Amino acid sequence: MMLTSNPFAALEDFWPPLVMQVYIVLMMVAVVLGTLFDVHHKGSAKFFARRKEKSEAAAQRHLSGGETVSMAIATIAEAAVSGEFCKWPRRISHLLMMYGFLLYLVTTVVMVFVYAGGAHTPAILPALWTIGALLILVGGLWFFFFLRVNVAYDGASPFHLGQADLFIGSLLASVAFALVWGYVQTAHANQIATWILFALYIFFTTLLFVSVPWSKLAHMFFKPAVAFQRRVEEANGSSDLPSPAAENYIVRS
Amino acid sequence: MPTYTDMTRCDGCGDCVDICPSDIMHIDPVYRRSYNIEPNFCWECYSCVKACSQNAIDVRGYADFAPLGHKVRVLREPEKGSISWKIRYRDGRRKEFTFPIRTTPWGSIKGPSEYEAPDLSGLTSQLLAHEPTALHIDALPTLKKA
Repeated sequence: MMLTSNPFAALEDFWPPLVMQVYIVLMMVAVVLGTLFDVHHKGSAKFFARRKEKSEAAAQRHLSGGETVSMAIATIAEAAVSGEFCKWPRRISHLLMMYGFLLYLVTTVVMVFVYAGGAHTPAILPALWTIGALLILVGGLWFFFFLRVNVAYDGASPFHLGQADLFIGSLLASVAFALVWGYVQTAHANQIATWILFALYIFFTTLLFVSVPWSKLAHMFFKPAVAFQRRVEEANGSSDLPSPAAENYIVRS
Repeated sequence: MPTYTDMTRCDGCGDCVDICPSDIMHIDPVYRRSYNIEPNFCWECYSCVKACSQNAIDVRGYADFAPLGHKVRVLREPEKGSISWKIRYRDGRRKEFTFPIRTTPWGSIKGPSEYEAPDLSGLTSQLLAHEPTALHIDALPTLKKA
């Protein structure tokens, strides 16, 4: 049964569990290196440092440590519900992909590292792995075909592909092939087809994690940094935005 | 003074693309964030600046016109029916202004097709369609003969 069996366990008939473990570690290293390269190449660290200096120079009051911590917590709470999105379809789509990805990632790591070498995998793990992948597919396909702004506003074809789609495209392909490979494997289908699907799954997964400098995967690091800095600027009075209006002018329904 | 987008703030929602009367706000093919494709054709109408819910769009002053870093920032608050401006002058002074922009909730204005079609007798009337009810008054003011 696809929903209850560990898809990575069958690979151990062909190679030791260490192979998949090394692969996952390599992908983690690729994300870290790619993000550091991205930060260096785009100068985003310098940009944020300069912005912080400007904010501190223009600050009208000094923030206490407690205030800074509470703002950091508020920023994390906002990111947890994708509060930065103002439109609900984009917000829900992002939430589906974000929590689906977390679920999929954590269960993959647990199944490969903890339940390797023939250990019995609790049925809940493959079920959560499948649910995570399905959440990514639902949120991702909704975004890909209906919410992508160059499709919705620029009138591009829903099948239009560009460099901006590297992240979403490789994520969707990786997850879709993972699901199909998992299904075909448990259905005891043709061995060659199973290996081809596994190769496609690994190819798109590698593309997803190795392409960080050219995709938007690094946004998960810098977006919260921007949101936190924005809160700090509003609190210490250095924000360049006007103060919120004191009066409500809506007088009729 | 053409517009530019702060890519760290933009979330790529496309509101600026939708509202730009000059059709020069587009989506960057690499980063999927908005950008001004042709600053020379910018009307400086501020439509995108006001429409941006992330306050990610700003207007760049030309170096010869605003050499010392003046700034004009805007905050639209549809829930309050207001728009506020913060002007930073070249000598460092700052001024803030708030203006009412509407008195009814955002999105509550009906489109023409949502009204009942007026009957033909409306063609001979001095009133425009749905006046005076759409103006929230009982009757239009008229001149009285002395």
